[in-house]
Amino acid sequence: MSIEASVGQELPGFTRTFTRADLVRYAGASGDFNPIHWSNPAAAALGLPDVIAHGMLTMGTALRVVTDWTGDPARVLNYFVRFSKPVVVPETDGAEVRFRGTVTKVEDGVATVRIEAVAGEVAVLGAATAEVSVG
Amino acid sequence: MPISEEHVGRSYPATAPYQVSRAKIAEFAAALGDAANPAYAGTDPIAPPTFAVVLAAAAWDAMFDDPDLELSLSRTVHADQRFAWQRPLRAGDEVTATLRIEKVRARGPMAIITIAVDLATAAGEELCTATSTLMHTQEAAE
Repeated sequence: MSIEASVGQELPGFTRTFTRADLVRYAGASGDFNPIHWSNPAAAALGLPDVIAHGMLTMGTALRVVTDWTGDPARVLNYFVRFSKPVVVPETDGAEVRFRGTVTKVEDGVATVRIEAVAGEVAVLGAATAEVSVG
Repeated sequence: MPISEEHVGRSYPATAPYQVSRAKIAEFAAALGDAANPAYAGTDPIAPPTFAVVLAAAAWDAMFDDPDLELSLSRTVHADQRFAWQRPLRAGDEVTATLRIEKVRARGPMAIITIAVDLATAAGEELCTATSTLMHTQEAAE
């Protein structure tokens, strides 16, 4: 079954608040126990203002813009992100990140989606692009 | 001799086969806040696409353990990541990961390293290539 896709189409976005508990959960699920994702002193030792989220957690969450749209994650063919800025996750309030996507190209049954991830006013992913089968 | 252009092309033996399980898929989907997607549930689930990183990262160890390269994970920043999938990973897949060094560029004390990890089933079916750019800072010379 094909999916309606056109250049300029805005995909429904969503907001997710990442808490320390989310980082611990992702550490366990992914096996990435780098202490900068859960220990304040470890983050401070690297000059970070606070604990930061796993870049791959942001990357994986951002792809939901595409998989929520197509319904079927098996349609994703290619996905690239640059980890341009860390998502800083304070212990009490967590960090709110807004995700959205725009279709930038449709060709041969493949849609290219530009994904944005913004924490506060800061774009935390750069050049985030997914290619997804819509045919 | 720390990592340099001369190490481009170096590859490492495939990791031991990892069996993708329904429980691990459910755990990973929940960690992404995406437990509600029915593709990740039921008796024959697929893995969330970026689950491939779990398998790719297992292949990083061989490179970081290579004494020729003088690398340390604590001096490494993950700059960008690409995945290209041939098909989704599924519960029951037995997956191996093979890492090769694609590119090394020096910028002062920093090495910008591109690595590609090929994921394949133990039977040889190609699943995904995970390509990462890492920025590695050498320890200051004494």
